[in-house]
Amino acid sequence: MPANLKPAAPGQPKTVNTPDTLNGDKVFRLLVDSIQDYAIFLLDTNGCVASWNPGAERMKLYRREEIMGKHFSIFYTEPDLAIRKPWHELEVAAETGRYEDEGWRLRKDGTRFWANVIITALRDENRNLLGFGKITRDITERREAELRYRLLIEGVSDYAIYSLDPTGVITSWNAGAERIKGYSTDEILGRHFSTFYTPEDAAAGLPQRVLKQAADTGHYEGEGWRVRKDGTRFWSSVVVTAIRNETGDLVGYSKITRDVSDRKKLLDTIRQHAEELELRIAEREQTNAELEAFSYSVSHDLRSPLRAIEGFTDIICTDFGNQLPQEVKTYLGQISTATRRMNRLVQDLLEYSRLSRIELKPTAADVATIIEEARLQVDESFRERVKVNVPAGVKAFVHPPTLTQIIYNLMTNGLKFYPAGKQPRVEVSAEQHEGKVRITVRDEGIGIPPEHHERIFQVFERLHSASKFPGTGIGLAIVKRGINRMNGTVRLQSGPGKGSTFTLEVPAA
Amino acid sequence: MMVVRMKVERLITLVVEDDDSDFQLFEAAFRRTPGDVQLHRVDDGESAVAYLAGDGTFSDRSRYPLPHIILLDIKLPRRSGLEVLQWVRQQPGLCRVPVIMLTSSRHTKDVNRAYEKGVSAYFSKPETMKELTDLLGALKDVWTRWFEFPSLDDKAN
Repeated sequence: MPANLKPAAPGQPKTVNTPDTLNGDKVFRLLVDSIQDYAIFLLDTNGCVASWNPGAERMKLYRREEIMGKHFSIFYTEPDLAIRKPWHELEVAAETGRYEDEGWRLRKDGTRFWANVIITALRDENRNLLGFGKITRDITERREAELRYRLLIEGVSDYAIYSLDPTGVITSWNAGAERIKGYSTDEILGRHFSTFYTPEDAAAGLPQRVLKQAADTGHYEGEGWRVRKDGTRFWSSVVVTAIRNETGDLVGYSKITRDVSDRKKLLDTIRQHAEELELRIAEREQTNAELEAFSYSVSHDLRSPLRAIEGFTDIICTDFGNQLPQEVKTYLGQISTATRRMNRLVQDLLEYSRLSRIELKPTAADVATIIEEARLQVDESFRERVKVNVPAGVKAFVHPPTLTQIIYNLMTNGLKFYPAGKQPRVEVSAEQHEGKVRITVRDEGIGIPPEHHERIFQVFERLHSASKFPGTGIGLAIVKRGINRMNGTVRLQSGPGKGSTFTLEVPAA
Repeated sequence: MMVVRMKVERLITLVVEDDDSDFQLFEAAFRRTPGDVQLHRVDDGESAVAYLAGDGTFSDRSRYPLPHIILLDIKLPRRSGLEVLQWVRQQPGLCRVPVIMLTSSRHTKDVNRAYEKGVSAYFSKPETMKELTDLLGALKDVWTRWFEFPSLDDKAN
């Protein structure tokens, strides 16, 4: 950034006769002497130091008495002396009235500092050269900051950072810009930034709109397709900022562009997936609605003929039983049994499909209450065979009717599989354990060989014939599906002759 | 205050049921239990409304008398049981008639809708003949011995 240094007003007296009259001006002298941050001194027409202020001493380390009369080239570096820069500066100042420069200068101890220098020619009313006024500022720190900043920008390779003049012509270019857009600094400086736009966008006046918005609001942000030097396109994320000087005049724009093609691609993919997902959800919802209608009509229409078979069989047996041979009555009994089984089957299947379909909204529920409810559903003649050992106050985050059904299924399952003559016995316990509630249903029945442990949770999987142990083969499938849908798990520990232990784990409330 | 108990000699029941077998089983179940009940049947929702409104041939009230009780299925041709129920509840006088749902639907939605629309009781059809006999026998017992029937005359208080 160029220094915006105007010659200090007090340092530019309009009517000065000689350096001596200047020295005579006490007030002005006081002012100059009080200034610490600027070296302000006079040179005679040859360039020899004719006055010295504390700022100069502080900056250049020479005391007044040792520098007075010395040629000011003493402040210049070897390379500058080699090109006779000090003399050149005086010539320019004498010719044009003023010379301004930035560059390295030397202190007395030989160290360098970056100086902003203004040399002003001082003339009398007859335009005779009296000498030169010299104001020097140490701007080393600012220069270093600027350098660091420039290096930073130039070194950034992930972002194209460049500047435009007020009309949109490119005035600077960094490594990132070269990498992203493919143009070298030499070939792009001086070209209009609309070069980067697609022909469609350029024709639609987008570059002009971008600059206008940045000028109007200070800022433009956007994303869009841009064109590289080789003609390929990339998806860019752009920030344009208007740059104004102290008086508010627009002096140009800074532009930061990122190649976000990968992100764009990713977002497009995600969006596409989301759309597909939505479509599938819609399809699924429709399927669910159809399934619902299907199961409704199954429960209504499929069971109605079953009721008829069962009912009329019952009427024949009851009302005409004494007129029938024993064999017929046996067969009728089998019809009744089959219908009852069919009825159970339909109900269990409906329950299973319902469990997969409906939303199981979990609530905080008392586990002891749920287990007691399940126990009360067990046929009265077996109810006493179910022992419950559950501490009060255990609460699970579950869908209570589903957990009740699951526990009921495990209870009846546990009561069912006993060798003839042995009294069935089921024990239910529950405990809270690390954010989970663990419910255990244990029986002392015939047990399940380990190789069948997976299979028994599948629909219609049976290990025994229905005549030996009745059942639909859906009970445990309902357990598994129900518990999974409540974010729980079911485990089985069992072996032949060892009884079975089903362990449920559900989130604690 | 004078209390006059309506003497119901023969309980007139309108059964709205599309399934012939189910209707025959209802008849058998009622027959097996003590007490007299006179069954009239229509087999779709539209006929139920026509019967109750006394439209066309149903205007002959000696053949098609207004019932003391309506036994109503939900899933019916033409007009659903819920629609029939809603219609009944909008008729002056007739709106007081006890309507019993007896249906194979056990959907909570159906149960809730039925009670919202003013059903008097809701039962799902039992699975076995024995249970059906128990249910209909119990209902008939309650109706004939304990039930207070409203007057369907819309001018009655």
